[in-house]
Amino acid sequence: VKGRKLIPTRAALTLTPAAVLRIKTLLQDKPDMVGLKVGVRQRGCNGLSYTLDYASQKADKLDEEVVQDGVKVFIDKKAQLSLLGTEMDFVESKLSSEFVFNNPNIKGTCGCGESFSM
Amino acid sequence: MAFLLRQVARTGFQRNLILMRHATASTSANPELSVQVSESCLKRLREICVDGSFLRVTVEGGGCSGFQYKFDLDKQLNEDDRQFGEGEAKVVIDTVSLEYCSGATVDYHSELIRAGFRMVANPLAEQGCSCGSSFSIKL
Repeated sequence: VKGRKLIPTRAALTLTPAAVLRIKTLLQDKPDMVGLKVGVRQRGCNGLSYTLDYASQKADKLDEEVVQDGVKVFIDKKAQLSLLGTEMDFVESKLSSEFVFNNPNIKGTCGCGESFSM
Repeated sequence: MAFLLRQVARTGFQRNLILMRHATASTSANPELSVQVSESCLKRLREICVDGSFLRVTVEGGGCSGFQYKFDLDKQLNEDDRQFGEGEAKVVIDTVSLEYCSGATVDYHSELIRAGFRMVANPLAEQGCSCGSSFSIKL
């Protein structure tokens, strides 16, 4: 087909260097796991919240597989629409350390940032 | 305390008023008020409080359920502070905040998605926000 522009496919989820580093250290302790799996669950005062688990394999063939800088992150098939374009970051301080999802699709979050609505 | 009472009365926030009266009746420096510090919390505090700092827990208005916990690292000890924990691993709560969280446990929980300090099993709190940082007072 002539004249069709090639649009570079964007990853469904991007990882910041801090997140990549953290996932690498997490997976070092679990040699039988290949990556992490991100999902979305109905919970919290604003409707939805993120879940994160170890993944030993691609559980469902419809799950999206994101490979960046040598780490693998699977996105649950039900969470793909809500997570599209999200940047996954890892923030660490003396008091707490957590994965933060910068999601462009959401409308509002709870004060603590754990739950969100779309 | 009197100033607080006046301020609360001015806003007409009835629930708070009852609570504050209750608190003054049981004297502001009640030695029976205390919090527990869990083993995981002590362990984490030993790691981060090497320079003489301690974990300060305060309860303030806000959050989606009325009150919320705030965790800070502090070095300045005030007059109305109470200390819990052992050795280097200290948790400090001022008496006003302690009235809202007496009997609770300071915990450091770590799971895959996040690790951080939190207050658990506060007998004065009703089921609050899912993240546990915000709560409402049982009347």
